[in-house]
Amino acid sequence: MLSEGLQATEPGGFLLIRDTACYSGRRLLKYYINCALKRGEAVHVLGFEVPEHELCAELDRNYLHLFHYHNAYTDPLGWTKQSSFTVKHFSATEITRLVQETQQATASVLVIDSLSWVVRHHDTVAVCQELQKLRKGGSVRMIFGLLHTDLHQQGIVGTVSHLASTVISVTPVNNARYAVAKISQRKKSGKVMQKEEFFSLTEDLTLSIETKPNQSGNVETDLHTKSEVDPMSNLTFNLRLSEVEREAKEKVALPFVFSEEKKSALLRPGRGSGRIMYEPDANDDIDEEDPDDDLDV
Amino acid sequence: MFAELNSILNTSPDDVTQREFILLSDRKADASFLLHHFLSFYLKAGCKVCFVGLVQSFSHYNAVAQRLGVNLVQAREKGQLVFVEALKASAAVMLNESSSDVAQLFDYLRSPVPELRALFEFVCASLSQAEAEADSSSPPVLIVDDLSVLLSLGVSVRAVLDFTHYCQAAICSRLQGSVVTLVRCDDEDDDDEDDDESSSRLLRALTHQCTLSLSVKGLQTGYCRDIHGQVEIWWRGTGENVQSQRKIFQYKVYDKGASFFAPGTSSAVL
Repeated sequence: MLSEGLQATEPGGFLLIRDTACYSGRRLLKYYINCALKRGEAVHVLGFEVPEHELCAELDRNYLHLFHYHNAYTDPLGWTKQSSFTVKHFSATEITRLVQETQQATASVLVIDSLSWVVRHHDTVAVCQELQKLRKGGSVRMIFGLLHTDLHQQGIVGTVSHLASTVISVTPVNNARYAVAKISQRKKSGKVMQKEEFFSLTEDLTLSIETKPNQSGNVETDLHTKSEVDPMSNLTFNLRLSEVEREAKEKVALPFVFSEEKKSALLRPGRGSGRIMYEPDANDDIDEEDPDDDLDV
Repeated sequence: MFAELNSILNTSPDDVTQREFILLSDRKADASFLLHHFLSFYLKAGCKVCFVGLVQSFSHYNAVAQRLGVNLVQAREKGQLVFVEALKASAAVMLNESSSDVAQLFDYLRSPVPELRALFEFVCASLSQAEAEADSSSPPVLIVDDLSVLLSLGVSVRAVLDFTHYCQAAICSRLQGSVVTLVRCDDEDDDDEDDDESSSRLLRALTHQCTLSLSVKGLQTGYCRDIHGQVEIWWRGTGENVQSQRKIFQYKVYDKGASFFAPGTSSAVL
């Protein structure tokens, strides 16, 4: 499902990668950039946190002509008057203009690295409105955003997440080679898919997904059609009876039913049945009294 | 300068790693010994250093540096060290006493929208100048002791982060230098999760930003004479394909140095 993130061809998709200080989601973001480039889509990056050379270091060299970096890293606030794009320019119209300046025939993808920077300098509501305008505007096919969840209040993270069509939360696993991605994807039909996947990214940005050792988290929730597994399939025994089997079963007498036959068999003293022979010894102390006298029999 | 720490970090004054953003942090312990280490380390390496001292006066840093074998007065006279007496200046601004040049850097304490732009511009100017003069073989370095004092002075976390971002962009990316900052976390635990202006929030944001993090903690069991605490060294693995890696050491600080050892292998224990 991680690798399908990009293929969601619904226009106006918004994929949000949420990370914490323990594990950076930027490599996953790079992987998606690389995938988009390989499919021949123009990628526009609003780079606040990482300089251009660092971001495109591992990308596929053959497609770099499709990669457009809008530098908001060196001067995001206009202090040194060096950059063309500052955080104040974060609006749908301004971004649409930027994207269309270098418009190519192909669809374009917008990458925001990172939304944390934008949210820190703008009102959350305003940011959400601009993002929504961008999605509806049609100038970008898809938006990718990175959000550091541990830098914001929970409400802000929730607000931005509600806007996204796909949310991927990455967390590290102890051995550090792999990380867990919790993916929840909301389709236009209202269907919500949730999945957890182990993944690792190699140096040349190839993604390998491992199946999760514990399958308990692998739940697919579907509100409309609930596919239930039949518990009666694959049984090692037979639950149903044929007519012949049923007749045979009914013929069998149950062991504790007291039939006439059984009664007579019990009452008739059989030959060779056991008997107690007792000859009192001289030393025996025989009690004449009935020992069961006090019993109410 | 602690030779042991250099070997752990795989660096030496002759071979300074460039473009590092080093974050020092402490919680229930004192990480200033690391700060003194980096100050003397970069001065010995011949780097141009800009030091913003918000915690102590120049004479204090000088006294410590002399024990580590570096003379700050000489370095300042040579022009290798630019020392910003932020401790005195910010107090003076608060008390409305002086109008010296340095105090102007701290106008943010009064201006309606507090931002650290003036301080950044000063730092940048003093370090860029150095690069124009000297051969650019040794990178410029900014050291700040410490950023959480700014929070106490009423600067917002946002403004501090803007400042560090600009410093990183200018010094690490443009001038190929390094930045060393110290953040003190004094809160007991993370119960102020939603507090926007806490030092732990600043620390988390800087952790995202840094390339190398050294976080010092006291021992959970309390004070110990032979082990002063533990330091977690975390190579963040951003940028040039360095894998993220964490190591934990325990340390003991001596008069003129410090020793680092794997947890549980203190000479007092074995």
